[in-house]
Amino acid sequence: MAEQAVAAKKKQKSSEDYSYVGMVLHRLTRHKLAMAGAVMLILMMLFVFVGPLVWRADPNEQIPGIEGMFNPPSQAHPLGTDDYGRDVLARMFFGGRISLFIGFSSAVSATLIGAFIGLLAGYYGGWADNLLMRFTDAMLSIPTFPLLIALASVMGKGMWQIIMVIVVFGWMSDARLVRGLALSLKEQEYVEAARAIGASANRIMWRHLFPNTLAVLIVSTTIGIGSSIIYEASISFLGFGIQAPLASWGNMLQNAQQFIWNAPRLIVYPGLAIFITVLGFNFFGDGLRDAIDPKLKL
Amino acid sequence: MRDYVIRRVLGMIPLILIVMIVSFSIFSLVPNPFAALIENPRIKKADIERLIKAWGFDLPWYLRFFKWFSGVIKGDWGPSLLYPGSSARDVIARALPVTIRVMGIEFLLSLLIALPIGIISAVKQYSVTDYVVTVFSFLGMSMPTFWFGLMMMMLFSVFLKRPSGAPLLPAGGMMTPGLEEAPFWTRFVDQLQYLVMPVLVLAFSSVGSWTRYMRSSMLEVVRQDYIRTARAKGVPERLVINKHALRNALIPIVTLVALSVPGIVGGASITEKIFNIPGMGSLIIAAETKSDYPTAMVGLMLTSFLVIVFNLIADIVYAWVDPRIKYS
Amino acid sequence: MDNREVLVDVKNLRTFFYTEDGVVPAVDGVDLTIHRGEIVGLVGESGCGKSVTALSIMRLIPNPPGKIISGEIMFHGENLLNKSEEEMRLIRGDKISMIFQEPMTSLNPVFTVGDQISEAITLHQKIDEEEARKRTVEMLHLVGIPEPERRYRQYPHELSGGMRQRVMIAMALSSNPELLISDEATTALDVTIQAQILDLMRGLQKKLGMAILIITHNLAVVAEMAETIAIAYAGKIVENASAREIFKSPRHPYTYGLLQSIPKFTERRTNEPLPAIEGMVPSPYHMPNGCRFNPRCPFATEKCRAEEPELVELTPGHLVRCFHPIEP
Repeated sequence: MAEQAVAAKKKQKSSEDYSYVGMVLHRLTRHKLAMAGAVMLILMMLFVFVGPLVWRADPNEQIPGIEGMFNPPSQAHPLGTDDYGRDVLARMFFGGRISLFIGFSSAVSATLIGAFIGLLAGYYGGWADNLLMRFTDAMLSIPTFPLLIALASVMGKGMWQIIMVIVVFGWMSDARLVRGLALSLKEQEYVEAARAIGASANRIMWRHLFPNTLAVLIVSTTIGIGSSIIYEASISFLGFGIQAPLASWGNMLQNAQQFIWNAPRLIVYPGLAIFITVLGFNFFGDGLRDAIDPKLKL
Repeated sequence: MRDYVIRRVLGMIPLILIVMIVSFSIFSLVPNPFAALIENPRIKKADIERLIKAWGFDLPWYLRFFKWFSGVIKGDWGPSLLYPGSSARDVIARALPVTIRVMGIEFLLSLLIALPIGIISAVKQYSVTDYVVTVFSFLGMSMPTFWFGLMMMMLFSVFLKRPSGAPLLPAGGMMTPGLEEAPFWTRFVDQLQYLVMPVLVLAFSSVGSWTRYMRSSMLEVVRQDYIRTARAKGVPERLVINKHALRNALIPIVTLVALSVPGIVGGASITEKIFNIPGMGSLIIAAETKSDYPTAMVGLMLTSFLVIVFNLIADIVYAWVDPRIKYS
Repeated sequence: MDNREVLVDVKNLRTFFYTEDGVVPAVDGVDLTIHRGEIVGLVGESGCGKSVTALSIMRLIPNPPGKIISGEIMFHGENLLNKSEEEMRLIRGDKISMIFQEPMTSLNPVFTVGDQISEAITLHQKIDEEEARKRTVEMLHLVGIPEPERRYRQYPHELSGGMRQRVMIAMALSSNPELLISDEATTALDVTIQAQILDLMRGLQKKLGMAILIITHNLAVVAEMAETIAIAYAGKIVENASAREIFKSPRHPYTYGLLQSIPKFTERRTNEPLPAIEGMVPSPYHMPNGCRFNPRCPFATEKCRAEEPELVELTPGHLVRCFHPIEP
């Protein structure tokens, strides 16, 4: 019985037969939760980007009068209408694009800025490291939420403002991450070797250290997109950020809150969309982490 | 140990300074914080001018900072613009106990649930139990709390009703009006119904992430060589987990818990707002939204200080609990 | 021929690991006999299955992904593979003990050294804590640790590598086991400490009379210590004989190759490269057909590539798994 099992498995490809990226993808595709997450994300992307091509309605067109308000789902309006008589489905598409855009750009920017600062701190060490890390720690001490709102209230309302706010708030964890990595990586022999042949600090940082942090950063960004989407939704929910008549999933929720007694379904749609998207990013990011370093499989 | 503590305390000082500077700077970006007040016809111009002077807005920013700084240290936290007539300090003193009550209960509940489940999940890795727990943790971590809060409200207040027609659970507030003078026990029981939803909403996400952390920590410990040694010694599996593994796995969790304590005071702003709970979280948000900058600044600062202090406590507890930490 | 009673008799042991990437036949038909009081060496390169054999005897194979799929491990005439987990637990640390390679990580960092040894004692012997404490101090003294009472209260990180290994040995021998399995116990120590530990083990063996299974990749270690040596390659035993026979007249090409590749400082060869066995240990996922050593064997023939040889007793007490054993 054992011999047959061994013989059968001989035909199967093992992890030694792939390249690095191939290996990561191979492990990723077998991670159930990660694949579930990927499916959720793909569905969301299709919804938000392909949806408007299929269901063409103007997210801002209002149906005047009471008959237009709070219509239940119908053929004309698959998700019904909101308090201004606007088509909810169209607003969901539009809001989704905005929320996703904000989430993505702020997460990526925060990661890049954080990585840059972390690299500098980790590579140079000494007082630069001390200074940067003290500052990072201080920023981390200020609780998330109030800081976000404080910045938002001060910087004004609008999409670019939100992105900036989220970035200002979010670079710290990546900075610490990269700094830690840089500190341990720079002790490796290949860095010494690079220095020995006269590589400049810049070159060492970007060409040698940075690529090794990439794997961790990609995971961090993926999960960061999820968090950013929630931050944007929260900020918009409180009245800052994206303003009407523009739609974002966050401000749709905020709007719907007051109508919880007459049209509770308006709360379900945008929140559900946020939830599924964030869940998708979290599942996928977690699977990515396991795929990149399976020894850490937790 | 003593030297370690002293060094860490000294290290806190630059942090505190930076926090104060950042808090102050953010609100300094606003050109005229008293603009809202000026528009309010009920407030006399002379009072406004008095405020401006008291707050040092007639001075350049660096002097203003020192004025504020010295005021804060002396305990004068400024007036509250939201509630003219009260000082920021009074306002905060009213909001604080409310938040502590809600968050305190949520904190304990989450701890009691998350830790055992995390342990079980780790011990039964790859089983169905583990899978279910993992999925639930993700749900908890990914759930937007405001949406969950609203959905709960929808379910328990809008759809589910009591025989009398009233909502099953009240949609907001902390107390049924009229019971202010009632005996302690009556008030206590009454308050429970107001606490159920906010606590559940908050606990859902805490339990999600703490379970995951406990599970990771256990998994990492259980694969260590010394666990193999314990088994090779003939230690029964139950003891291997509950004594040898747990004692090690709890070390990082202790730190995590200590670091979560400041959150108890900062409160969960949005949840407080949704459920109309007059605590610190909603106070700070309201202060920021309605331009009550003195209160907002102080609130922000206070919660930051707590974070810094508890960071210190976490470090000390960690050093105390883990015999490997050398204090030198 | 050995007149002593057979203590452990491993027959045709197969332990496989079922991983995501395929099945690893870590131990694929291992036969090994250990007599009472005998010192047996199990030698081979990394990955040849020697540690897995030891863990199989102790039934400490993690399941998943490992599984002992066939074979017998006879201990005092009873098959260990048929015993319940509770029965095995009573054997571990009491009748059969094991010490491991990494003294740094093999001891639990949050318990004192003394407590860990006392635990081993109280688990298997019905004596009270005070008695156990005394015995622990005796054991610490026995393994050559100075100031045992003081050391009792210290934590593992406060001891050097050599001392930690001594503590491991004390723990393993505290219940006077019949078999001590040493899995690369000296590999992680530097050479002088290694020598001390080996001396210690030899001395203790003379005193307490237990059998020792020394697992190592270092031929020098077994040359000093072992009476009988088994050579392992790719999950199978390829040669088994007295230490003297192995070194004087190795019959299997692999053994021969191993001995050839040891640099000899007494000979006068100067310009010739050190003879090494060509090729590499086969990947567990892609074992060669026929004799597993054939791709690297200078004497391989068609038969070797087609069929797997059996373990055959060529001369009394000398077993070889080869179609073309080297003539003595």
